[in-house]
Amino acid sequence: MKLIDRFAEKFFWVSAVLSLAVTILIFGFMVILGLPLFKGGHFFDLFSKPWLPDHGIFGVYPMIVGTLSITLLGLGLAFPLCLGCSAFISVLGPKKLGQIVKKIVQLMTGIPTVIYGFVGIFLLVPIIREMFESGSGMCILTASLLLAILVSPTMILFFSDSFDQVPQSFLDAVDALGGNNAQKILYVILPYSWRGVLTGTILALGRAMGDTMIALMVAGNAVAVPDSVFDSARTLTAHIALIIAADFESLEFKTLFACGIILYLFTTFIALSVRSIESKSWGKK
Amino acid sequence: MINRSMEKVVTGFSWICAMVILGTVLCVVGYLLVNGLGTINGTLIFGETDPVDALLFRKQVFDGLFPAMVGTFALVALSVSLAVPIGIAAGIYMAEYCRGALKRVFSLFFDVLAGIPSIVVGLFGFSVAIFLHNYFSSRIYPCLFISALSLAFLVLPYLIRTTQVSLENLPEDIRRTAPTLGATKLQNIFYVLIPRSLSGIVSGVILSIGRCAEDTAVIMLTGVVATAGIPKSVFSNYEALPFYIYYISSQYSDKQELLSGYGAAIILLVICGLLFMMAFFVKHRLTYRALYRP
Amino acid sequence: MKTKFFRVGFVHVSFILVLSFSLVSTIQAGVLDTFMGEKGTVKISGGTAHIPVMKEAAKRIMTVNSDIQISIAGGGSGVGIKQVGEGLVDIGNSGRKPSDMEIKKYQLKMFKWAIDGVGVVVNPENKVKTLSKAQLIDIFSGKIGNWKDLGGLDKAINVYTRDKSSGTRDVFWKKAIDKGEITDQANFVVSNGAMKSAISNDPYGIGYVSVGHIDESVAPVALDGVVPTLENVKQGKYKIARGLYSNTKGEPSGLSKKFIKYLFSHEGQQIAADKGFIPIQ
Repeated sequence: MKLIDRFAEKFFWVSAVLSLAVTILIFGFMVILGLPLFKGGHFFDLFSKPWLPDHGIFGVYPMIVGTLSITLLGLGLAFPLCLGCSAFISVLGPKKLGQIVKKIVQLMTGIPTVIYGFVGIFLLVPIIREMFESGSGMCILTASLLLAILVSPTMILFFSDSFDQVPQSFLDAVDALGGNNAQKILYVILPYSWRGVLTGTILALGRAMGDTMIALMVAGNAVAVPDSVFDSARTLTAHIALIIAADFESLEFKTLFACGIILYLFTTFIALSVRSIESKSWGKK
Repeated sequence: MINRSMEKVVTGFSWICAMVILGTVLCVVGYLLVNGLGTINGTLIFGETDPVDALLFRKQVFDGLFPAMVGTFALVALSVSLAVPIGIAAGIYMAEYCRGALKRVFSLFFDVLAGIPSIVVGLFGFSVAIFLHNYFSSRIYPCLFISALSLAFLVLPYLIRTTQVSLENLPEDIRRTAPTLGATKLQNIFYVLIPRSLSGIVSGVILSIGRCAEDTAVIMLTGVVATAGIPKSVFSNYEALPFYIYYISSQYSDKQELLSGYGAAIILLVICGLLFMMAFFVKHRLTYRALYRP
Repeated sequence: MKTKFFRVGFVHVSFILVLSFSLVSTIQAGVLDTFMGEKGTVKISGGTAHIPVMKEAAKRIMTVNSDIQISIAGGGSGVGIKQVGEGLVDIGNSGRKPSDMEIKKYQLKMFKWAIDGVGVVVNPENKVKTLSKAQLIDIFSGKIGNWKDLGGLDKAINVYTRDKSSGTRDVFWKKAIDKGEITDQANFVVSNGAMKSAISNDPYGIGYVSVGHIDESVAPVALDGVVPTLENVKQGKYKIARGLYSNTKGEPSGLSKKFIKYLFSHEGQQIAADKGFIPIQ
């Protein structure tokens, strides 16, 4: 009996260590394979130079700008929307309707991003092109809109779960003082669950930044640094997908690992921030 | 009073938001259905080949979605069978055997793993394939196996987390009962804790299945191609539904192909929707079964 | 006397007819017959212009023998050459002749089985259907930014281009715009098919695509008076032409060898012609 116990425990432990190893290996591969870039001594140039392969300059600065603009715009559009929707689900809407909306939102989380990209290309791109009469319709705005829809379900569910965790006594107190639902939301629920809201937003940020298909399909993938939301842009993720076909030995290909490192570091940063927010809330309890 | 108008504004705003969200979902799904529902028939899936021959793999299917569906199915089956044992075992370790600072470290790393963009995982899988190709066997190149492995890396954190959370959410008295009767830790885990948290674990597995079925970025880099027929072995190239949708959307040669893209999108949506609902259903029903089994 | 002559003649003629018929049909059947009884896979990647021909050839071969698996990927000419050189695929297609450096590095054997052209295309709704070379160079470098400067609508020109590994891009860059700059505001598409879809969906777009791919969904643009059609490429009137190559690492063997032989056979060349290219025979 004892032997099986020991064996099982070892097996569980090995699985956990393996999973840990994968996490570290991913980063390790990126760094090792991207090493030639660092050796040149021009490491920081990578992040500030434009992408001009014909001239031998392989900077990913335009891609960084592309990622940031699409992600931040998408999140900016999604945040108020999700806040309003989760307020509706938890407090401000009729109970039954709120439950239905929640169920639909839960189903929405299962929609693959490639479907959003597909619908985006044929439905949204022509609309944007005709409405704003600028560019081909494949631009930052289109990608941001689709990205906002992509991350909304996650954010809405996260927010509404946080709202639901407000102690009933607080809500009763508002009622006892003669307050209405709107005051409940604004003065009690939101301030209490700001941590959950922040966590949800940060997780959505990570999700938005890591998405490939939407940007690849509707953002145009131009290599210039974008000037306006109607410009075509390329994200770090789409860049990886596009350049993967290049010569494996070339410097051009190695820049993909630099993109990978940037994305990985950003992910780590997000994980750490979420952790620190949550640990503070545990301290409070 | 300010209160009245504020309440109206805030409530009105939240209604608008909810309607916008609903409207968007309706637009997306409705657009696909309107354009693609008409194309869903035997020809879409099997092309000109007889369905029976195709299903028994006697004949290849051209111009149909069947190879892509088989590819997706094989991919999901392989990656889930790779990820589930490791993921659940690691989850059990986290919930039952790991404590203190070590647990925090492991937790952090798994959170990082969960957040890694899928394309980075794909890049990693591609690098691993090239590495193996150069140093181990030149027969290895990006293929079904590499894709399945990469997808396994992708869903590992989900499995670990859902297993861990389901186990940790069990009430203390359930945990303590069996050991007081003389059971070992392992017996406790297998006979008491796991059956009780089965619903959470299984729903996690089903969600991983959904994740593997829908992912495009990882497979794009690790072996999926536009045309390959039914994969003959795990070391061959293959087709997959999400990649087909992406491919068709950017390069369709005629109206017929475009319509098949809509059909493929609907099929993928239905598959993911079904898996999702199954996960929910399982979560609720299995709990009932596990707790009230005579 | 006459009847006997006729009878003998008849027998002789019919004998010759039967013989030649059986010979021809043996040759015809023989082309796909070489694939009978074979097992294995052929991995093909590279030039996207080749894909329709590859798909049709693969379909015919796999119909005759379902034990063979032929997988086809795109990626562009650069990818094809690189992947066949590294042994990742069996046949690498390219829409440009591999450079001497590439031939030496990868020990490539090249097989040119069709001729194609690269033509400038715009949306069928666009009124601008003819350009001079100087105008083309300015459009793609970004100097001319609006269609109204060319006699069209007052709309910005949306330039579409391919990535560096594309052979189509290479030929276009060298021969059509004399190695000029391509504006960094250009949208990137990943294949000939993708270029076609993009242009047919964008009324204000301009791009370049393989002549064999041009159909009613896009409108060809005459360059210095010459329209990019198959005829003009064949007669040498349209200068922006290129060969379609299939390359292997070293001498091809086994299934790859048979596949390439099939491309050069009468049936294979007919497929190339059907898909809009000029067969080499």
